[in-house]
Amino acid sequence: MQHANHIEVNQLKWLGYSTDNILPDGGFGAVSARAGVGKTSLLVQIALNSMIRKQTVLHISLDYPVKKINLWYKEMFQLLVKEFKVDQERELWETILPYRFILTLKVDKFSVLRLEERVKDLIEQDIFSPRMIIIDGLPFDESVKDILLELKPLVKDLNAHVWFTVRTHRHEQPGADQLPIQMTNVKDIFDTIIQLHPDGEQICIHNLKGGSGELNTAKLVVDPSTMLIKKM
Amino acid sequence: MKNEISTLRNIGISAHIDSGKTTLTERILFYTKRIHAIHDVKGKDGVGATMDSMELEKERGITIASAATFCEWKNHDINIIDTPGHVDFTIEVERSLRVLDGAVLVLCAVGGVQSQSITVDQQMKRYKVPCIAFVNKLDRNGANPFRVIDQLRDKLGHNPVAMQIPIGLEGDLEGVIDLVNMEAIYFDGDNGEILRTGEIPESLRAQAAEKREEMIDKASLFSDELTEAILEEKDVSSKLLLGALRKGTLLRAITPVLMGSAYKNKGVQPLLDAVNNLLPCPADIQNEALDMDKDEIPVILSTDPNKPDVALAFKLEDGQYGQLTYIRVYQGKLSKGTTVVNVRTGRKIKIGRLVRMHANQMEDIETISAGYIGAIFGVDCASGDTFVSPEINYSMTSMYVPEPVISLAIIPEDNKSQINMSKALNRFTKEDPTFRSYVNDETGDTIIEGMGELHLEVYVERMHREYNAKVSTGQPRVAYRETITKRSEFNYTHKKQTGGSGQYGRIAGYMEPCFDEEFIFENKITGGSIPTQYIPACEKGFRLCLKKGPKLEFPVTGVKVAITDGASHSVDSSDMAFQAAARGAFLEGYSKANPVIHEPIMKVAVETPTEFQGPVMGSLNQRRGIIEGSQEDGPMSVIEAQVPLSEMFGYSTVIRSLTQGKAQFTMEFALYKQVPKPIAEELIKQKNQAKEKK
Repeated sequence: MQHANHIEVNQLKWLGYSTDNILPDGGFGAVSARAGVGKTSLLVQIALNSMIRKQTVLHISLDYPVKKINLWYKEMFQLLVKEFKVDQERELWETILPYRFILTLKVDKFSVLRLEERVKDLIEQDIFSPRMIIIDGLPFDESVKDILLELKPLVKDLNAHVWFTVRTHRHEQPGADQLPIQMTNVKDIFDTIIQLHPDGEQICIHNLKGGSGELNTAKLVVDPSTMLIKKM
Repeated sequence: MKNEISTLRNIGISAHIDSGKTTLTERILFYTKRIHAIHDVKGKDGVGATMDSMELEKERGITIASAATFCEWKNHDINIIDTPGHVDFTIEVERSLRVLDGAVLVLCAVGGVQSQSITVDQQMKRYKVPCIAFVNKLDRNGANPFRVIDQLRDKLGHNPVAMQIPIGLEGDLEGVIDLVNMEAIYFDGDNGEILRTGEIPESLRAQAAEKREEMIDKASLFSDELTEAILEEKDVSSKLLLGALRKGTLLRAITPVLMGSAYKNKGVQPLLDAVNNLLPCPADIQNEALDMDKDEIPVILSTDPNKPDVALAFKLEDGQYGQLTYIRVYQGKLSKGTTVVNVRTGRKIKIGRLVRMHANQMEDIETISAGYIGAIFGVDCASGDTFVSPEINYSMTSMYVPEPVISLAIIPEDNKSQINMSKALNRFTKEDPTFRSYVNDETGDTIIEGMGELHLEVYVERMHREYNAKVSTGQPRVAYRETITKRSEFNYTHKKQTGGSGQYGRIAGYMEPCFDEEFIFENKITGGSIPTQYIPACEKGFRLCLKKGPKLEFPVTGVKVAITDGASHSVDSSDMAFQAAARGAFLEGYSKANPVIHEPIMKVAVETPTEFQGPVMGSLNQRRGIIEGSQEDGPMSVIEAQVPLSEMFGYSTVIRSLTQGKAQFTMEFALYKQVPKPIAEELIKQKNQAKEKK
C-alpha cells in the first residue's frame, strides 16, 4: 500500500498543513481544553496524519493503558477513512501501525531522565526512533517548567517535536493573551498553542499562539459526534 | 443434596497462571471438610493439590482441565470449577464461565493484574459473570493489595471496593480487618482453621475507618435504605451493607475485594462467606436458550424444577467406566431413568447413572435440579450439546470456539501405539473443540491442530501417559492461508470431446477480496446463460478449489466469487462439466488477482522486570514483531506486541535466558496478515524442495 495514495486522508489540510508538520524540529505544541472536550482525539488525528506520511509517533500516556490508547487510534482511523472514503482500510492500518509506539507511565514515575533512557534504548536497538512525541496527561503545575526546559534539548537532539495536552478547568479565568492560566508561565517555550472550546453544540478550535494557514484565519471546529476537525 | 436454590452457588476460580488459585481451591476444600489434609501444588509430600487430578498437572504444577467439585459452607452448596490459567487452554475457561453464575478473580498481591487476568476478565464480561476479587499472596515480598485494587480500576475498568485491609504484610501478615463488621480476624490452629476475632489494632483504626467510609459510599449507590441510613447518620448494619454490595456485584457495577494468603491459610474463610453473601444464586441469573422450532427465538429459562428439562453438556471426560459428561441443568430436573433428547443429534437418551464430582472422586445422586452441576455416565455426546425433555426443542446458545492456529504431525512408533493414538485423539477432539486432528492425504501423517505449542505438547504427553501411545512429533507448522488482493475477471470454457458424450461449460465473472467471510459465492446470471440446475455445481467447483490454494497449496480464504455470464450445451453440459469449468475459471481469475500468503499473528504480552525491558523488546523485534507499546507499572513492565506465530516457537526458552527466568509471556491469536515477500519466497522454496524430494 502506497502512503502517497492516502494523503487524501488529511484532515489537517484545514489547519493548513497538508504535507508538513505543524511544529518545527525541537518544537513544542500544546492542545488545551477542559476534561472530556477532545484534546487526545485532536492529537491522535495529528499523530495519524504523521503516521500516514511515514513519520514515527511516540505516544506517551500518563493516564491510560496501551489497550485504551490503541483503541482511540483505531476508532479515529476508522472515522477518518470513512470520512475520506478510502478503500483497503485494513491494509492502510497495517502499514501505518509500525510508525506508532505507545508508552504508558504513571504520572509520578514520569521524568525526563526516564524518558531519555527509554527512547535511547529503542533507538539503539533499532526498534523505534520518534519524529513526533505526544505527552498526554502531564500535569501543568508549578513544576512543569523545569520538566519542559529539561526536555527541550533532548527533543532537539532527536530531531523530533512534542505535543502536550493541557487540562484546564471551568472555574479558571484565562491569563494574559487569553492563554490558559497553566500556560502563562511557560508560553515562551511553546511554538503553538491550540485551545478547544465548547460553544453551544460545537467545539471550536482557537489558535492562541503560532501556527499558520487557515488555523489563523478560518473558523475551525471539532465535530462532536466524530471528533474530526472540520471547517465551518 | 439440598434443593433450596437461594443457597446454591456455581462459581469459578479464574486467574493468571501462578496466582495460586489451585492452592486457594485446596484450602477451600479443606475448610469445607471435603478433604482432610492439605497437599500443596509442587508440594514436598508429592501428593499434589486435590484439584489437579491429572497426573500431568500434578507433575507440572499447572491446572489443565477444569475439574468440577462440590462443597458446603455455612448451609450453602457451592459448586466450584477450577479453571486453567494458561491462555492456550482458554476454551476450558470459556466453557466454565458459560455455566457459572459467579466467579472469584484471584490476583497476586505482587504481580497484580497480569495479562492473563485481562483475558479472563474479558471472558467474564462476555458471559456477564459477576465476580469478587481475592488478592492472594499477601505474605510475599513486595505485596501491596492497594496497588492491585488500583490496577483493577485502571487496567480492567472495574469499580473495586475493598472489604478488608491487611493486618501486616509480607512476613508480618497476621490476618485481615473485616470492614463490614469492623473487627480483626486472625487465623489460628495448624492450618488456620480456627478463626479468632478481636478489636482492630490501634495503628490500623484510622485506615479501617477511611476504607469503610469508601465502601459504604460506593455501596450506597445500590440501596436507598442505606443512603437514608447514612443521611440520617444511623448505624449501618452489616445486613444492610452486604445487601447493597450484593446488588452492585450482581449488576457487575462493583467488584468487592477480599484479601489474604491461601498458602499461609489466611483469609480463605471470609472469602467463602463473601461467596455466600455476594455472589448470585442460579435464580439471580437470567439464562436463555434458543427455540429451534420457532426460528431460534430466545427463550428465558426458569429454575423451576417442574418445567421441561434443559441441560448443557459443558465438559467430557473419558474415564474407566466410559464417557463422563459434566452437565449444568438450567431448567427442570434430571433424574435417573428420565428420557431426554440431544438436540443436536435428535437422539433420545435414558439417563443412567448421575454423579456429583469432587475432583476425580464421585458420589452417586438421584437427581440434578435446575441450577446444579453434575455429571452423567455413558452418554455419547459432544461438548456443548443441549439435552432437553422430548416435548421441547431448545438449544443453549453455542459457545464461541476459536480456530486452531498451529499444527503438528504425529507419528506412532508401532502398531499398538497407532491404535491407542486413535482412541486418544477421538476422545481429545470430542472434549476440546479447539483441538482437532486429521490425516494428511498426501503424506499419510496424522496432523493435530490447536491453539499453541503448549496446547499440543500437553495432548501429546497425555497420549503417552493415559493411552500408552508412543508418538514422535514433527516440526510445528503454522496454519498459513492464501488470499487475493485485487479484483480480477475470468471467462473460462471447459470443452472436452473424446468420443461419446462430451463435456461443455463456460463460466464468466469476477473474484474480489472480502474481509469478513471466508468465501462468498454470488450468482448474478440473468437470462439463463447458465441453466439454474448447474449453479450449485459451479459453486461446488469454486469451493473445492479453496481447500488447496494454487500458490502454495494452503487453504484459500477471503474470496468473493461472482458469476455473471456463461454458456451451456444441451447435450454436453453436466454438473461435472460445470465443476471443471469452475476450477478452470478459479485458476484463471486467481492468478490475475495478485494472490498472497497470510500468516497468523499472535497478540503477545510479556511481563518483565523493567530492567529487562530493552532485551525483551529486542527479542520481539528480531521476531518480526510490531511492538504496540510498553506499560510501566512499579517494578514491572508489560510489553504488548503483535508477532507472527512462526517466529514464536521456542520463545519461552529465549525469554527465560534473557531475563534470568523473571519474565513470563502469554499469547493468543490476533489476526491473519500478509507474509513479507522474502518470507513468502522462502516458503515457496521450501515447498518446491519438498515436492522434489517426493
